[in-house]
Amino acid sequence: MSTRPGAGGHDTFSEDAAAYVLGALADDEHGRFAAHLQGCAACREEVARLQVVVDALPLAAPQLGAPPELKRRIMGAVAGQATGQAPGDAAPREPAAASRHAGSRAPRRSGWRSPRRWALGGVGALAAVAAALALVSLATSGGGAGPRVVRAQVLARGASASLRINGGRAELVLDGMPQVPPRRTYQVWVQRRGAPQPTDALFSVSSSGGATVAVPGNIAGVSAVLVTAEPLGGSRTPTSSPVIVARL
Amino acid sequence: MFKSVRPTGGGSASEPLGALADEELMQLVYRGAAHAFEVIYDRHAEAAFSLALRICGQGALAEDVTQEAFLSLWRSRARYDRGRGSVRSWVLGIVHNRAIDAVRRRGVRDRGAVRDEDVEAQLPAPERTDLEVARREEAREVRDALEQLPQEQSRVIELAYFGGLTHVEIASVLDTPVGTVKGRMRLGLAKMRSTLAHPAEAMR
Repeated sequence: MSTRPGAGGHDTFSEDAAAYVLGALADDEHGRFAAHLQGCAACREEVARLQVVVDALPLAAPQLGAPPELKRRIMGAVAGQATGQAPGDAAPREPAAASRHAGSRAPRRSGWRSPRRWALGGVGALAAVAAALALVSLATSGGGAGPRVVRAQVLARGASASLRINGGRAELVLDGMPQVPPRRTYQVWVQRRGAPQPTDALFSVSSSGGATVAVPGNIAGVSAVLVTAEPLGGSRTPTSSPVIVARL
Repeated sequence: MFKSVRPTGGGSASEPLGALADEELMQLVYRGAAHAFEVIYDRHAEAAFSLALRICGQGALAEDVTQEAFLSLWRSRARYDRGRGSVRSWVLGIVHNRAIDAVRRRGVRDRGAVRDEDVEAQLPAPERTDLEVARREEAREVRDALEQLPQEQSRVIELAYFGGLTHVEIASVLDTPVGTVKGRMRLGLAKMRSTLAHPAEAMR
């Protein structure tokens, strides 16, 4: 974390908004700036002002027609998943393209290479908020396969999160969470052994910071459920530190 | 910038659906209507594929990225929130993210350095509908706004947005102080904003 005089104040960040909207800050800087945005109206305004330009930037690419066979492939896959499925249900894992590359994916920018980074306390950039961390022990109602509730660690001050588990299914119930930063979405991850695995559960929170999110798949064998803020559409490897950790 | 252009027919998968705005279509997509998603695809595939190609520099990889992005959109359709931007911004934001990921995975050395001339050697798509004509015009405006910038400003914006480089990496590539790179990004984006906002400011 920066030790510059005035670190955390507006002056520290006044040049960062453009790099932020262009996605050109490294993860730790991005996290610091996103945290700063929560409390700085001037920076939020600057981000909103520049974001409209970045939203238009894709059109600076020469406009070329997509190959017709691409549409056939995509709509074919969509048709295969369209049959009466409620939105948000766990869909089949990434077909075709993604799985082809999955094995060789390099980590983005910095971070997440070390499993210990999953510990909230290790998030240096957000240490100030981490001080407010409410570490709550496991509260169990009912044993065995019966319903139970696990309280989660939450980074944000004043927010709460718990994991309701019933049978092999779990859902995260959140309250008082901060709004996800612009062009980001919250994403749920599950950890069994080794690296956390992405899920298709992407979500935002209500104006009061509330949300109820089903954790896709069976919870059996899962040691932790985590939430990070990711670029829209989610990530295959986390690009920011977790804001919620529920240990099972 | 992105104007609220409503389609006037032709080119879409279904005429009645083709008359709906993106945000109205998303209500159908939300309920699992693949035919509504097809209209969304038809409207944005060109911009999506073009963006992917600009970032990846390789047609096959750009196709993979576009496919991956649209399937991700389909799966995450319940999370589209119209309060947070247009469908187009949502689509292109996901394509951008995945394309940058793809070039990093592949370790594409030359990322962000694809020259427009190389890409334009491929056949541009014909303009079939009023909507496409309007989109092309919009694209020209954005390209002009970028090209009008002093080169040191357009360069840092291109390296960041199309190259996926951080400001520290850009500073190293250009042998320029980090603070200067950030300053050029800010000046360039601010100038583009005023250029693009000049005729009409119809952006969400």
